[in-house]
Amino acid sequence: MPVAGENYGWYASLAFNAISPIFVVGDFFDRILNNPHFTYSSQMHRVSKLSAPLRPALLLLVPVAIALLAACTPDNNQSTFGTAGPVAKDQAGLFNFIFWIAAAVFILVEGAIVYIAIRYRRRSDSDKLPYQTHGNDKLEVTWTIIPILILVAIAIPTLTGIWAQQNGVPDDKGEVVFVEAIGHQWWFEFRYTDHEIVTSNELHIPVDRPVALKLESQDVIHSFWVPKIAGKVDMVPLNDNYMWMIGDEVGTFYGQCAEFCGIAHAHMRFRVIVDTEEDFQAWLAGMHTAPDTPSADSPAGRGKNLFAANCSSCHTADTTSPGSYARELSSQQARWNGWISDIENSSIVSAPNLTHFGLRSTLGAGIKEFTADTAQAALEEWIHDPSSVKIGTRMQKHAAVYDTPDGTANLSETEVSDIASFLLSLKPGSAPAGAVADAGGDADGEAIFASNCTSCHSTGDNKLVGPGLAGVGDRAGSRVAGLDEDSYLEQSLREPGAFVVDGFPAVMPEWSHLGDDSIDALVTYLKTLN
Amino acid sequence: MTTKALTFPRLFPRPKADTGIWSWIGTVDHKRIGTLYGITAFIWFIVGGLEALLIRAQLASAESTLIGPEAFNQLFTMHGTTMVFLVIMPLSAAFFNWLIPLQIGARDVAFPRLNALSFWIFLFGSLIINASFLTGNAPNGGWFGYAPNSGATFNPGLGMTYWVVGLNILGVASIAAGLNFIVTILNMRAPGMGMFKIPIFTWMTLITSVLIVLAMPILAVAGIQLQTDRVYGTHFFNSLGGGDPVMWQHIFWLFGHPEVYILILPAMGIVSEVLPTFARKPLFGYPFVVLAGAAIAFMGWFVWSHHMFTVGLGPAVNTAFAVSTMLIAVPTGVKIFNWLGTLWGGNIRLNTPMLFSISFIAMFTIGGLSGVMHASPPTDSQQQDTYFVVAHFHYVLVGGALLGIFSGIYFWWPKFTGYFLNEKLGIANWALMMIGFNFTFAPMHWLGMDGMPRRIYTYAENMGWEGSNLAASIGGLILGLGILVFIINVFYSRMKKVMAGNDPWDGRTLEWATTSPPPVHDFDEIPQVKYRDDFWFQKYPETISEYYHDEHDQAVPSGAQIDGDDAEANAELPVVTGSADDHGDEHGHGGIHLPDMSYYPFILAFGLAIFGVAFVTDGLVLFAGAPFFIWGLLGWSMEPVND
Repeated sequence: MPVAGENYGWYASLAFNAISPIFVVGDFFDRILNNPHFTYSSQMHRVSKLSAPLRPALLLLVPVAIALLAACTPDNNQSTFGTAGPVAKDQAGLFNFIFWIAAAVFILVEGAIVYIAIRYRRRSDSDKLPYQTHGNDKLEVTWTIIPILILVAIAIPTLTGIWAQQNGVPDDKGEVVFVEAIGHQWWFEFRYTDHEIVTSNELHIPVDRPVALKLESQDVIHSFWVPKIAGKVDMVPLNDNYMWMIGDEVGTFYGQCAEFCGIAHAHMRFRVIVDTEEDFQAWLAGMHTAPDTPSADSPAGRGKNLFAANCSSCHTADTTSPGSYARELSSQQARWNGWISDIENSSIVSAPNLTHFGLRSTLGAGIKEFTADTAQAALEEWIHDPSSVKIGTRMQKHAAVYDTPDGTANLSETEVSDIASFLLSLKPGSAPAGAVADAGGDADGEAIFASNCTSCHSTGDNKLVGPGLAGVGDRAGSRVAGLDEDSYLEQSLREPGAFVVDGFPAVMPEWSHLGDDSIDALVTYLKTLN
Repeated sequence: MTTKALTFPRLFPRPKADTGIWSWIGTVDHKRIGTLYGITAFIWFIVGGLEALLIRAQLASAESTLIGPEAFNQLFTMHGTTMVFLVIMPLSAAFFNWLIPLQIGARDVAFPRLNALSFWIFLFGSLIINASFLTGNAPNGGWFGYAPNSGATFNPGLGMTYWVVGLNILGVASIAAGLNFIVTILNMRAPGMGMFKIPIFTWMTLITSVLIVLAMPILAVAGIQLQTDRVYGTHFFNSLGGGDPVMWQHIFWLFGHPEVYILILPAMGIVSEVLPTFARKPLFGYPFVVLAGAAIAFMGWFVWSHHMFTVGLGPAVNTAFAVSTMLIAVPTGVKIFNWLGTLWGGNIRLNTPMLFSISFIAMFTIGGLSGVMHASPPTDSQQQDTYFVVAHFHYVLVGGALLGIFSGIYFWWPKFTGYFLNEKLGIANWALMMIGFNFTFAPMHWLGMDGMPRRIYTYAENMGWEGSNLAASIGGLILGLGILVFIINVFYSRMKKVMAGNDPWDGRTLEWATTSPPPVHDFDEIPQVKYRDDFWFQKYPETISEYYHDEHDQAVPSGAQIDGDDAEANAELPVVTGSADDHGDEHGHGGIHLPDMSYYPFILAFGLAIFGVAFVTDGLVLFAGAPFFIWGLLGWSMEPVND
């Protein structure tokens, strides 16, 4: 099977030369078509050769055809020809098969049109009437049956392909990696259910192992498409879909949402990173390893607090510890609930998980690539004014930090730079995988509050996502009958859904994972807010 | 009209004018209504074309910020909606109106006032959709309106409400017109014109009308459901309320695929008239072309899910629809081969209509072949929602439907107006359109195969899409220039008025038998028909034996077997006068029956349009529309056909 993109000049010449026999066999068709008795009709004057000046004109088609076909460049980022996986390869192979059949039909029909138009054109002022034939039944049957045979030839590999590609992941191609891919307006979330890892916009898969994808959407229809690895399948709300693919070449491959999904549809892209098995295992382990804690006075250290205060109600960046996966899932659901309950004014919105962002190479759902050198500047630009990079992003509309006259972040240049430094510092650290940061006996409630709660709760009266907490200690004892203030506050942290203050969305995640000491410290701190 | 019927008091005298605005508002003449359809649709064609040029301007370079995503989304939504519902369909309707009574030897359509109503509803519906631009609420959810992105949650604002209300109104117009032409073609054929003697364009009109009558109600159902979802908060397609967005796709494409044939079959009919005329040969295999058209229309109902191969319907469904979709290529191929058979051995005059028709075959073939490529779901999973599909359907709808319509315009212009369109400008128009069209849409094939999705307003610089996009944008300008030459041609030819006579092309069908332009009553005498291509065989009786030479049953299925060697039969003139048929004295000048003009269709349509406006303004506006609606309805019901 020739791969498109190779040897086009040769194919084009071949295709053109294939036209020429038409001029030879024309005479034969002439007999059949114009005389129902299959005898040569003498009233038709015979012209079997193209007039000399027209031949070079037709030859011009050759360079044109080459130029046109050469445009299919397999090296392009989303070319369906330069495949990097068996599914895409089979799809491209089937395309090539149909293409060359179509090319043959094309040459036949278009050649016939050109030939007929030239050969039977009116010469001089002759208004001589051609033979008024009504048709020919044998020909009708012929040109009904031949296309059917051609279509049968196309249907066989088509049906084989459908059942090979769409009937579940094959069980004989290695250990399957299961991924839930969720389309959000306008970014992709990837959940590795077996490994309890969640990430966004950059999907890591191991080379030569089948990946089974469950495709979902909460909002509108999206479509998951990595042209070089596999064709697309839609992500439809309430209709989960399944597809599988294999990357057989290590590298980074482009993906893009293919179903129109609103204002930022053009900016909804992603990458598939095909790792060696070794790298993939390292990545999996890394995603469970907490980053090193930056020192408090370093840019990353300051950025960590700024991130907690301004970004963390929508972005989780620390999904490395056991249990954090389930928590992120419920947080993500809570963000959706918050947004959908008040689309115009919600201060939270579904947002990509940023765990180990320092391992990424793109931002804004794959629309801006960066290197180690450009990362800091790219992130600063993004944090300062996301819409300048990605028109339509919901971040700017909903996050309180962008509630400024010109819509840019209510942060100084240094603060923006610190947040960027923090995000880029997020890489697997030296701590053993699975370590939980527990404050221990001398937990500082105020510090825990500052790094976990302030993106949704102020200590004043003003409403952020949740209620302002000034005076919470006074009212906590009277909220729910039978709960004193300590019990109420503890319940609010451990089971936030049990009692929701009127007028606020039920979006708060539970905080038991902070550990008993931290919960106690927080309760103690909250009671001091008067 | 002997009994005095109930009459409804008239607020205005019955329109009688032959000229001026009232002669148009009150007209029930199929030719004038055809002209109104043609002019209105052509204006929308210019609007839709300018929308396309803005889209191409935005995409001419990577990372362009010429127009933002919101404007871009509005433009591609309105471009698609306009070209499908406000251009190709009504341009076809213009030809139906003008030609069907003339081709079947009738004095008007079966229901002339209903015909006027169709036009006025179409006009008002098209105005409502486009008024959205003026209120800053142009639809932005795509011409396909996929739920839930078209629902009120994800698409607040009035844009998609304008869209769905407008489509619902347009649907009424289409259904009424479809019924009208079905009845007209079945009941009003000239004496002797059996179904297998009607011109092929009339056949394609009949098939199209049946499709319209069956398909548009499906869109109406989907439209009303979407409208109540948006306006009253129902959950037919709203996934947040448990509605099924895939159901919208099924209903929309169950309408949408027959719609494709509604768009292309009239053009196939036009081409099937032009090719024989300019090859000076009868249509090759007439019954096969008719049956292929009917087969396409029938099979068109079983292929809709090929628009949904990536929706996840499963391998069994995709298998079924892949096979049915491939099969529909067979009758399409039969048509193409019969057109080639028609040309073969002809004495081909390459006048402008013929250039357009031959180009139709050439370009439509390309669209058909790329169609087979995404009839295969594995291939389609790469092509779906990419520019490859954009290329495909523009080869079908521009290279097919539009070239066919332009062929028809040049072909019948002398009949419509009495004078020719200028031939040199016509050839320039054709050449620019062909070059521009191929420059625009051919590169989209490899853009699609290179992974460029549809409906993206911008793309990155490193994707390798810039050259092809620039070529497409330049091609768009050339295509636009071709249309400009056509407009110049219309005005230039109108100024020069090179008169054509009644039968300038040596035509084959009845419309060439009457004067150019035809009188109000079309035919002084209702023609008597004996043969297929009757008018031709009147002129060339010596060729009857060639056509019917070895005919068995198929060519003359109505039983009037012709013996080709019978000189007497050949010599007999098919046009007779007198009262040999049911129409009695209507054959003479004195007894021509034509309905009087009426302003009620206009008033009724106006009332209906106000109802539509209520959905995008305020429910109380319904009360403003009611008086017009009721006035139109009652007045019409009680108005005698003739005073």
